[in-house]
Amino acid sequence: MNKDAQIRAAINQKLIETRERECLKELLRAKLIECGWKDQLKAHCKEVIKEKGLEHITVDALVAEITPKGRVDSSMNFNTCLDSCSYHYNQALVPDSVKKELLQRIRTFLDQHASL
Amino acid sequence: MKMEEMSLSGLDNSKLEAIAQEIYTDLVEDSCLGFCFEVHRAVKCGYFFLDDTDPESVKDFEIVDQPGLDIFGQVFNQWKSKECVCPNCSRSIAASRFAPHLEKCLGMGRNSSRIANRRIANSNNMNKSESDQEDNDDINDNDWSYGSEKKAKKRKSDKLWYLPFQNPNSPRRSKSLKHKNGFSVCTSASNTLPLLFSSSGELSNSDPFKYNSSSGISYEALGPEELRSLLTTQCGVISEHTKKMCTRSLRCPQHTDEQRRAVRVYFLGPSAVLPEVESSLDNDSFDMTDSQALISRLQWDGSSDLSPSDSGSSKTSENQGWGLGTNSSESRKTKKKKSHLSLVGTASSLGTNKKKKPKPPAPPTPSIYDDIN
Repeated sequence: MNKDAQIRAAINQKLIETRERECLKELLRAKLIECGWKDQLKAHCKEVIKEKGLEHITVDALVAEITPKGRVDSSMNFNTCLDSCSYHYNQALVPDSVKKELLQRIRTFLDQHASL
Repeated sequence: MKMEEMSLSGLDNSKLEAIAQEIYTDLVEDSCLGFCFEVHRAVKCGYFFLDDTDPESVKDFEIVDQPGLDIFGQVFNQWKSKECVCPNCSRSIAASRFAPHLEKCLGMGRNSSRIANRRIANSNNMNKSESDQEDNDDINDNDWSYGSEKKAKKRKSDKLWYLPFQNPNSPRRSKSLKHKNGFSVCTSASNTLPLLFSSSGELSNSDPFKYNSSSGISYEALGPEELRSLLTTQCGVISEHTKKMCTRSLRCPQHTDEQRRAVRVYFLGPSAVLPEVESSLDNDSFDMTDSQALISRLQWDGSSDLSPSDSGSSKTSENQGWGLGTNSSESRKTKKKKSHLSLVGTASSLGTNKKKKPKPPAPPTPSIYDDIN
């Protein structure tokens, strides 16, 4: 497992070094807006906020509500919260085409840098 | 750790897939998180709900999609038939005409001042021309009453008359008109055409000429005096479709001499003379005998039927060209100067001479002026 972790870390590093990560992030952002994912999430956010009250909204609450239906409590560390999230909700909203394209690009990148 | 120590090629595809998935998931999470931050900031800054509208407003401003209405639900052309009350004259004016009416009513705006200036200029002319009693008498003694009226034609028709050529209200024009006691003598070539007609317009104010909006003269409204004067200087052929006399020069290419002669015969009787253009014509004052000699020279019948009124009216202008009673000498110079001449003929009959000639007008013009003055 360590090796896997190492490998993953190495890959991440490579992604960042070559700025591919940023590229992928921008691409994903654009595609999500285009497919309406952001609007859907925004509508969901509005409901959450109306429910919780405008004054008492926190980032944690939002993240908790939005990202998944996970077990979230504000005491959790932010990162752990993300880790423990099941990503089904928001990931389900992402269209398949977007997902496929991104995976494609990642695979390409990995193949390119396989020998490295 | 060094990248050389591990090799991705050793990994099988499933692992690569898994890694790719992880990377993808990370990216999506990042996007989510970024989105959450945006929303939170919007909520705290207060602009999150800005794009929301309450349902009542949404209904009020809904896009209208009915025939005959625009998307705001307004009727097209709704304001055409509406009437407004002018605050100045308290008249009810149609909405589409309201702005021009207001401009004139209040006396503000470009056109109003021009009209006023022209009226002033015309009233000066009128005062001058009406001082010749004979003219007025002649006009009153029409045997053939063409319904000529003493009232000056409205300025509107003049304006329309002028439009094809130049804006009659341009200050340039009014200056040249004003500064010579109403005689328009303009030496600039570019102004010739408009000034021609403008002075005709001036004339029409002081004369009972009826100029219509087209480039012709409606002969019904002219008395015989004016007709004669017109016919000596202008082509005069009556157009088929507009029933108006051609105002171009005596040699206008649109009409033949036969037509001109026919017109003159029609109006002035069988002895009508077609004023022929001759270069050798003397421009000094003529009297009847001279005109007759000229006429014979031109192979026309002599105008033996000169009526007393002709000679009477011809006294008013110094240059008695033809027995037709109107001509001033300048009319002879029609040959190549087409547009200027009609002016002269009409002018002389009324005693106000407005001449425009390209030739130096010095010899005859001052004399005429002296005569008038």
